[in-house]
Amino acid sequence: MKPIDRRSFLKSSLAGATAVSLTGQRLLAAQTAAPNVANSSVPGIIDTNVNLFDWPFRALKYRDTKSLVAKLKKHRIIEAWAGSFDALLSKDMNGVNTRLAIECREHGLGFLIPFGSVNLAWPDWEEDVRRCHEIHKMPGLRIYPGYQPFDLDHPGIESLVRMTSERGLILQVVFGMEDPRVYHPIINVGPVTFAPLLKAVESTPNAKVQLLHFSGSAKGDDLSQFMVQANTFMDISRLEGNGAVGRMVGSIAGLPSARVPVERIVFGSHAPYFPVETALLKLIESPLAAQQLRAIMQGNARRLLPRA
Amino acid sequence: MNPREFFVNPADYGLPTRDELVAYRIWDNHFHGFAARNPIEQNEQNNFFVERMGIERSIAQEIGGTLEEPFAPYQHDAEILKILERDKDRLSGRTPIDPGFPDESCAKIEKWIRNGPCIGIKYPGTGKKAVTCSHPNNDPIMRLAAELDVHVYVHTWLKVGGTPRLPGGDNLRSESTPMDVARLAQRFPNVALICGHSGGDWELGVRAVRPFKNVLLEFSGSDPHSGMVEYAIRELGVDRLVWGGHGPSRSYATELGKVLDAEISKADRMKIFGGNLRRICASIFRKKGMKIEL
Repeated sequence: MKPIDRRSFLKSSLAGATAVSLTGQRLLAAQTAAPNVANSSVPGIIDTNVNLFDWPFRALKYRDTKSLVAKLKKHRIIEAWAGSFDALLSKDMNGVNTRLAIECREHGLGFLIPFGSVNLAWPDWEEDVRRCHEIHKMPGLRIYPGYQPFDLDHPGIESLVRMTSERGLILQVVFGMEDPRVYHPIINVGPVTFAPLLKAVESTPNAKVQLLHFSGSAKGDDLSQFMVQANTFMDISRLEGNGAVGRMVGSIAGLPSARVPVERIVFGSHAPYFPVETALLKLIESPLAAQQLRAIMQGNARRLLPRA
Repeated sequence: MNPREFFVNPADYGLPTRDELVAYRIWDNHFHGFAARNPIEQNEQNNFFVERMGIERSIAQEIGGTLEEPFAPYQHDAEILKILERDKDRLSGRTPIDPGFPDESCAKIEKWIRNGPCIGIKYPGTGKKAVTCSHPNNDPIMRLAAELDVHVYVHTWLKVGGTPRLPGGDNLRSESTPMDVARLAQRFPNVALICGHSGGDWELGVRAVRPFKNVLLEFSGSDPHSGMVEYAIRELGVDRLVWGGHGPSRSYATELGKVLDAEISKADRMKIFGGNLRRICASIFRKKGMKIEL
């Protein structure tokens, strides 16, 4: 058994992921049975999609930030980009973002990276962009269309993409939080339309935009067109079906898709709503080569957000 | 790539290795390998993932006809039967029926279970008439199931919608709810029923079937929610839970994650991953002369 070591992992990640290669170190299935999470030579994972605080409709198992951090670390997550469930239904976005910044600092300094939110339907959201960037020193923003009462055809979306780009911020766009079939009856969130985001990104070509909890389905070749841009990414949390990650990057013979280059796929768990195990197992389930795994686990996210 | 070839060690990420997954003896209660325009090809392709994730046995949900047309001759039946025989050590099947047509359903059970290879009855949610599993039409089907000592799988959901907007209000006309399963279970306490998809909305589904000990709850085909398995164990007990992969449309990763999220003993995981399903399958396996190790 010869797992990926840290030196070769980082070297490969910095070089960027390229085409599928099956010439990396090979590891057959007879691994050690005991968890080995303390071994520092094994590369960690950057989770680009977690949320803190309380999901409005259920007391989640890992709702307490300390327990969530411990859980993520147990699975060798080395950094987690954190939004706030409070952003879904709150009107005081400044309060939401301030609490998020404090929580990340107090319970996960250097581990939890806060991604504040702005609500395009609320007045003065531009000031929230400024505060997230200048006061809270956040590296990016996360919006939740639908729960926040706007779709991506909102006239402010192009301004938001431009503003975040000018400030060097990452914009994460959440395409869903849960299966619409099990919404609480008082919630009726429509589907998020993709096309206006593509238009906004095309008009700001260097914008750093990440799709979160995106199923991969978009009209026509909109997703491929989106990924043509320089700094566009998506996480794996919503990819579904056996071998879904591999199919998305085209690593499964006989199952063509390859709609997203592997260098644009990043790890995202959607924890604590989803079990973090689910996203981790997707990496095991799909037949991914060592270089592809390195890219998805850490390299691509680090390219999007270099370590300070 | 060899399905047993991995480039990271799952144990390094707090996950079970393939050997450990194999040791759990996973029986996939919900396999849709043959639900496709090209069912043979799809099943063969999915075998890569069956092997990779260490699944011991899969229970195909559509043997004999399709879920939409359970009584119509199906051009792929003969080939699927050959595969069932070829892969009998790792593949079994249920046959779909439609309680809108109880006589045809009973005839199909006779053909495909008493005199055929199937080991269970499948209730789809796509029947031609507005007949769910709680309707009196189901009684002859259930009496036959009791006679054969064979379990009954019921697709259930609670799709929110309707006026007033409520869980189940957007179900199809023949799509059963977990409350329908509860009503059926009350009438037939001697038949093992599986409430599919954990009722669709597991927080409500679990409570709907809780009083009826002959109902098992299946985790498959819905999103993975952290804490869902522990909740079900608290309300139902671990002996009433079964696991399904719902592949290939759902991911084994998604479904395995639900159970691995739960902080439970290995013995309890083994019950959910396969032990409980083997328990309710044992009688029909033995009647058919099929080896089953509980």
